[in-house]
Amino acid sequence: MLEIKNLKSRIGDIEILRGLSLSVNAGEVHAIMGPNGSGKSTLAQVVAGHKDYEVTAGTVTFKGQDLLELEPEERAREGIFLGFQYPVEIPGVNNAYLLKAALNAKRKHHGLDEIDAFEFLKLAKEKMVTLGMDPKFLNRGVNEGFSGGEKKRNEILQMAMLEPDLAILDETDSGLDIDALKAVAHGVNSLRSPERAIVLVTHYQRLLDYIEPDFVHVLSQGQIIMSGDKSLALELEDKGYDWVREAANG
Amino acid sequence: MTRLSTDKLRAIIGRLPTTRDEDWKYTDLSRARDITSRWLDAGCETVAAEIDDDITRITSSIDATWFVIANGELRLPGDTPGVSAQRLDSAPVADSALAELNTALLLDGLRVRIEGTLEKPIGLLLIDGAADAATSQTYVEIEFAANSAGEVIEYHASLGATDHYANVIIDITVGDNAAANHVRIQDRDLSHVQTARTVVNVGRDARFSSTGFDLGGGLIRNDIVIDIAHPGAEISFDGLYLADEGQHIDNHTRVDHRAGPATSRQEYRGILNGKCRCVWNGKAIVHQGADGTDADQANHNLLLSEKAEIDAKPELEIYTDDVKCSHGTTVGQLDEASLFYLRTRGLDRQHAKRILTHAFAAGLVSRIPVESSREAVGKLVEARLAVVIQLDEDFS
Repeated sequence: MLEIKNLKSRIGDIEILRGLSLSVNAGEVHAIMGPNGSGKSTLAQVVAGHKDYEVTAGTVTFKGQDLLELEPEERAREGIFLGFQYPVEIPGVNNAYLLKAALNAKRKHHGLDEIDAFEFLKLAKEKMVTLGMDPKFLNRGVNEGFSGGEKKRNEILQMAMLEPDLAILDETDSGLDIDALKAVAHGVNSLRSPERAIVLVTHYQRLLDYIEPDFVHVLSQGQIIMSGDKSLALELEDKGYDWVREAANG
Repeated sequence: MTRLSTDKLRAIIGRLPTTRDEDWKYTDLSRARDITSRWLDAGCETVAAEIDDDITRITSSIDATWFVIANGELRLPGDTPGVSAQRLDSAPVADSALAELNTALLLDGLRVRIEGTLEKPIGLLLIDGAADAATSQTYVEIEFAANSAGEVIEYHASLGATDHYANVIIDITVGDNAAANHVRIQDRDLSHVQTARTVVNVGRDARFSSTGFDLGGGLIRNDIVIDIAHPGAEISFDGLYLADEGQHIDNHTRVDHRAGPATSRQEYRGILNGKCRCVWNGKAIVHQGADGTDADQANHNLLLSEKAEIDAKPELEIYTDDVKCSHGTTVGQLDEASLFYLRTRGLDRQHAKRILTHAFAAGLVSRIPVESSREAVGKLVEARLAVVIQLDEDFS
């Protein structure tokens, strides 16, 4: 589904991704781990299409098409979802408005009619119940005054509504208490399917106790230096990132 | 109808501020002088067009006890508990040419006193316009008695589209421990010129919050002057101006902290499109002895056209030590991080821009504490945004 080959990217003069390759197939859950500054968030932003990150080499294809040619909104409509580490607050714009506009943008792209108001509300409320969110959040400004945990749940709600083919969740576990973490993990797990791929970008192993990955990759200095199954995450937790670097060099 | 000879009136017109005055550097009152002179030449006639429908349209849009001043003539509402109203024959001694003009040509002044807690807001509709060029004066005193609470809504509107100059003076007193909300809606026609001066005196432990919305008008100058002479006051005043082709909107604010502790906070936001000019000049003066003052001022502008122009100037003068003051001014485009966020949700750039512009304006509307007023203002702002930035969507 997602093929990244020898990707190099920089912001300003600083090269962050230095030849990264990754292959993600439908039905798989990948975890990308690494210390701060290793390039995890950059990878997420580049795939989503942030223009501040210049791609200097390599290719990224999504479902066979050249992803780097597409605008961020086209990527979204084609089925890529980025869950933000720091979701922005947009006071004055209803959560419900954004959800509906996003859903309709995607439906229109795929030649479908706009969702009707009744159907939309029913769907949104269903998803919110699953995530343990109060339906009154629908009528609040997008992330306006939300706690850290509420913002992350809201990201997962957007994902659940949009049903992406590929979801990239950037540090979705950061700042969550255990209840919020469980709710978020439940939301992600309920989206797991043979047609869908999920990439979890995380600093800590904790999230992986609740969302079991098929593959774990360790990112260091803009490259994947080690890949394995979920046991790699446990080993990392135990031995730290220095161990991987040494093991990779040796 | 005038109290002075035409010659004396012409002399006052000659003394009105010009762009040579520092405070009026960016706002040229030539149009006001011209309209008033033409009106004098024509014998000061004011032939009002059909007026009642327009009044009803506005007064029925916001649930309030409405005082209507149409072309300077006062219409009092029926008796309202907690509200005493009085027609004034004259305004106090004038201290500026604008005030002199106001005093000289005033038809009906109004004094309103509020006691206890108001059940619904007091509305003050100033509606002007005539068959030909004309000038109208408004002078209103509003007094919130000690321990009272309530909201006053000023609504400035036009009848038709003939040249008009409206000169408005509002004097608000907020008594000790009173809580006053003030909403100002200016939705005049492009043919109208307005100078509006609001003077606010607040008592001990008084709370005053004001939110102003400039949606229309050809040439608009608002002055809000707030005097804090007693400790414990909490003041906030905010403003939103939406300017399109051919508009000039100037907001001058001044707050004098003479006693502390007290807080004042102001935020003005502007959305400018097409060839237009806006001015924001925010002055805060912390006088000697006003210890424990906390003053904050901010002005943020969205310029959607290269032809739009903003002159923004914060001014802080501090003459005491124990103070906390801050100011910030931005002029620019929409936040790129927010645009990107919306685009990753599948919305194209134009759609994302419209959403964020709406949000920028809605952020000030949401500060109106009374729900019915907030909703009414929200609708007016949406309608105006639809014109200014072709924003024609319901974001609720």
